[in-house]
Amino acid sequence: MQETMVYNAKIEKVIENINKVMIGKEDVAVLSLVALLAEGHVLLEDVPGVGKTMLVRTLAKSLDCDFKRIQFTPDLLPSDVTGISIYNPKEMEFEFRGGPILGNIVLADEINRTSPKTQSALLEGMEEKSVTVDGKTIPLQRPFFVMATQNPIEYEGTYPLPEAQLDRFLLKLTMGYPSLREELEMLERTSKQHPIETISPVMTKEELVSIQEEVRNVYIESNVQQYIINLVRETRNYNAIFLGVSPRGSIALMKAAKAYAFIKGRDFVLPDDVKYLAPYVLTHRIILTSEAKYDGNTAKQIVETIVKQTFVPIRKEF
Amino acid sequence: MVNRLRQSNIPFVYSFILYIAGLLLFLEWLYPVEQVTDTKFIGIFIMYTFFCFFISLLQVKWWLSFILKGFGILFVLNGIFSDYPIWNMRWLHELFTDLTYNIQTLIAREWFDLSNMFRTLLFLIIIWLMSYLIHYWFIQVKRVMIFSVLTFIYIALLDTFTVYHANWAIARTFVIAFLALGIANIVREIQRENMTTSSFRFRSLWILPLVMIVLFSTVVGYAAPKLEPQWNDPVEFIKSAKESFGNAGGYTVQKVGYGEDDSRLGGSFVQDYTQVFQAYVKKESYFRIESKDVYTGKGWVNSSSDKYIEQPEWNITFETFASTVETEPYEMSLKFDEGGKIPKLIYPYGATHVNLKNQEVGLWLNEESGEMKTEIDGKDVVVRDYSIRYNYPSYPIDRMRKSQAPTDTTLLERYTNLPNTVPERVYDLAEEITARYDNQYDKVRAVERYFSANGFVYQTSDVAVPSDEQDYVDQFLFETKVGYCDNFSSSMVVLLRSLDIPARWVKGFTSGEKLEDNIDGEGTDLYEITNANAHSWVEVYFEGVGWVPFEPTQGFRVPNDYDVSLNNQHDDALEAPEINQPERPEPPKETQDAFSPSKSEDGFNFDFTWIHGVIIVVLLLLLAGFLFWKRFELETIYLHRKIIKKQDAASYQDAYLFTLKLLKNKGFNKGPDQTLREFATKIDNWYGSDEMGQLTTTYEKLIYQNSNGKVGTEELSNLWKNLIKRILG
Repeated sequence: MQETMVYNAKIEKVIENINKVMIGKEDVAVLSLVALLAEGHVLLEDVPGVGKTMLVRTLAKSLDCDFKRIQFTPDLLPSDVTGISIYNPKEMEFEFRGGPILGNIVLADEINRTSPKTQSALLEGMEEKSVTVDGKTIPLQRPFFVMATQNPIEYEGTYPLPEAQLDRFLLKLTMGYPSLREELEMLERTSKQHPIETISPVMTKEELVSIQEEVRNVYIESNVQQYIINLVRETRNYNAIFLGVSPRGSIALMKAAKAYAFIKGRDFVLPDDVKYLAPYVLTHRIILTSEAKYDGNTAKQIVETIVKQTFVPIRKEF
Repeated sequence: MVNRLRQSNIPFVYSFILYIAGLLLFLEWLYPVEQVTDTKFIGIFIMYTFFCFFISLLQVKWWLSFILKGFGILFVLNGIFSDYPIWNMRWLHELFTDLTYNIQTLIAREWFDLSNMFRTLLFLIIIWLMSYLIHYWFIQVKRVMIFSVLTFIYIALLDTFTVYHANWAIARTFVIAFLALGIANIVREIQRENMTTSSFRFRSLWILPLVMIVLFSTVVGYAAPKLEPQWNDPVEFIKSAKESFGNAGGYTVQKVGYGEDDSRLGGSFVQDYTQVFQAYVKKESYFRIESKDVYTGKGWVNSSSDKYIEQPEWNITFETFASTVETEPYEMSLKFDEGGKIPKLIYPYGATHVNLKNQEVGLWLNEESGEMKTEIDGKDVVVRDYSIRYNYPSYPIDRMRKSQAPTDTTLLERYTNLPNTVPERVYDLAEEITARYDNQYDKVRAVERYFSANGFVYQTSDVAVPSDEQDYVDQFLFETKVGYCDNFSSSMVVLLRSLDIPARWVKGFTSGEKLEDNIDGEGTDLYEITNANAHSWVEVYFEGVGWVPFEPTQGFRVPNDYDVSLNNQHDDALEAPEINQPERPEPPKETQDAFSPSKSEDGFNFDFTWIHGVIIVVLLLLLAGFLFWKRFELETIYLHRKIIKKQDAASYQDAYLFTLKLLKNKGFNKGPDQTLREFATKIDNWYGSDEMGQLTTTYEKLIYQNSNGKVGTEELSNLWKNLIKRILG
């Protein structure tokens, strides 16, 4: 319990750091932490310049982690992500030079600009927590956290991520523009020195890994599990949805809820956690029918409707 | 109260208006009392009401209020009932004696023998309680609805079933009740929103539309055309207990009304509320037409059917009671409908002179039966309009008690004669009923009272007709016990005759239903007498007093006075012999008969009639209504006990879910998608507290955390109880 309180204080500080740099983006910061603590990954979808990269950098800097950035371009090769074996004439053998995926926090910028082959190299790493180069399996570091960004407005020369691969991401987030006041304050803060220069690490890698362990121990009561399953199953039966959420989605929602509960200082999950996270966890895991799309529905609206229709558990069988 | 009101932000004037509305509504309950009951001095009750309401308004200490209101009661009782000043010991002694007597009467369950003073006392206490209740309803909890609805129901019922005309009362009640409802809602809203008086001033404009709407509705309601009653009297059967009937012979279902032939009685009939005549009466009386003296075993006939003597100058020579009986002179007039068919004089007891208006009409009396024919030149005529002077008798109970067996053997023989067909068990029964009484009057009263219990039921349908071998009275007394006035009166006459007490069977009409009170300002009331009022009763001969009417039929009462000497309490007590009953040894039960007089007269035998049924149903409904009204409070008590006792998660869950139910009832419905925390935040914002939040945090741990421990600490259960109180307001 003592430990948990210490960890919570550290988490608070991380959020504080992000708040220093990113104005009015606490929710995104918290959600990114949720993914990080739940050992998942985040897909940030937004227009350029709203601070996606800054968010990840701040996070990496606060955590004293190895930060790597991959700028995805159409000509990027899988080995540019995973790394390559190079012959070392001195040693007379091939030597593996790790790619950026071997960092702790990886920013995969504009992931949809590269070829599917390269994309899948990253996605495989995210899923397997290891990469295979020249027949050798190399485990990735712990913690390992990918934050991929993509620009939703450009389609020319992009390779949209296949839907089946989207659910490798625990959460899909958007940043959104700052409000007038937030933007004013941003100008104020960055006018002399960028605030990211002022922040210092508040958590070590080891601490982060222990927190991830702790998060797994967060308790979830069967009625809340049932609530998750009800939500997920509803996506499979819903009219406007062509393909519903997979069981992987249920697990993802549960993991995320545990992490969120932990951040909120609880050792058990509330339906509130699930309800709050459901849109971020489920939206990118469903495919709408063409009719629904034609009617102007978005996946977010549909998920919100489903949440509204699903009964929150308010009792337990004793 | 002023202080309290200031504390709760409500301008005094609003509470005061509410309270006045409560007072006015309560007065609507008092106004009809004078008209529909024999209550006098209603003004005094109204003044006492004002007094009590005023004391309640002042919110003085409870003991001071108690003393003031109690003294008020003494003052009123003294003013009405005593000639002594209030501080005189004799008056206090009088009061004490009266209370003692009435408490005895209460214990003996002789409701009708309660004294006027005692009934007044009870009435004043009710007013007292009401002043408290209305203060509570209107000022403290501001729940006006229940009392308003009750007032409407009360007025509507009185208007329907009594002489009370509630035309204006209902309009007044409408205006007052709706204004009060509106104001109560505004005031509750102020409390709920915690408005300050200053912000409320601005909102006093709310009152204006309220007043406008209520007045507009009233005017529209008054001016709008109204439907005639759409259905027949729905509670006719209730009335039937009050109405009476006669008989026309025959075996099938008959229509009720006055008829000539009573030789074969029995059978069912339907009520007929066609008016026969109207009577303008100062002192109500049964209307006598004739008596019959010969019981045939199936019905009644007259032994001297055609001996008539003329009544010169319409002065009536027929006398039912001796000239020594105290009387008061009155006059009444009777107006018959066009369809009237009775060529006989319908007259009150003590009639001395009749003014038939038409000089040609002659009046012919049958001296034995008292039947008076109206004839012109030997032909029967129906007289439609006449007035009668009569001496209203007060029968002296003392003298009747003391009266000896009649000496006139002709009379004795004639009026104690019974046919041989009357079975022996009728004689035995009469002996059994009267065994413990030593004088004729008490015996007669005992027989009269015998029918009010012992399983007899007043009913006009499904009444048996005796078969050829059966005796009409015997069948009623021992087999059916179901019947109407003919059954009751014939049986009483036969029982009395079996004891050699001279008695006869009388026909006529009851005093009818009062249509209007005091129509001429001199105390003359207007009565309507319908066919359903045709009736039969009993006259018993007392030596030295004459023929005295008695009424064995359930639900009826002879409107004559019985003169009880006032300085003798013992006489009163004897009037209700049951009071003395428990002191007497119970006579042993000898037979296996269907009745058991000893038991019943002790008051233990309970005869289940429809009235009891109705009372039980009403009580059950009231109880159910009360339980429903208080269901949340009751459940709160139950759950609170459960939490404290068990201190387990399941009880706490029940309590929490009950809170949700209660909130739902108050309009705070938790949406299915709303989490407990979201809902609790909403509730706490509304009530401006954090109790729901605290409870919810605990409850969340209970149902979402891996817990198994006991949670119901005292603090928690108190928290819960406070929240419930807050919700229940």
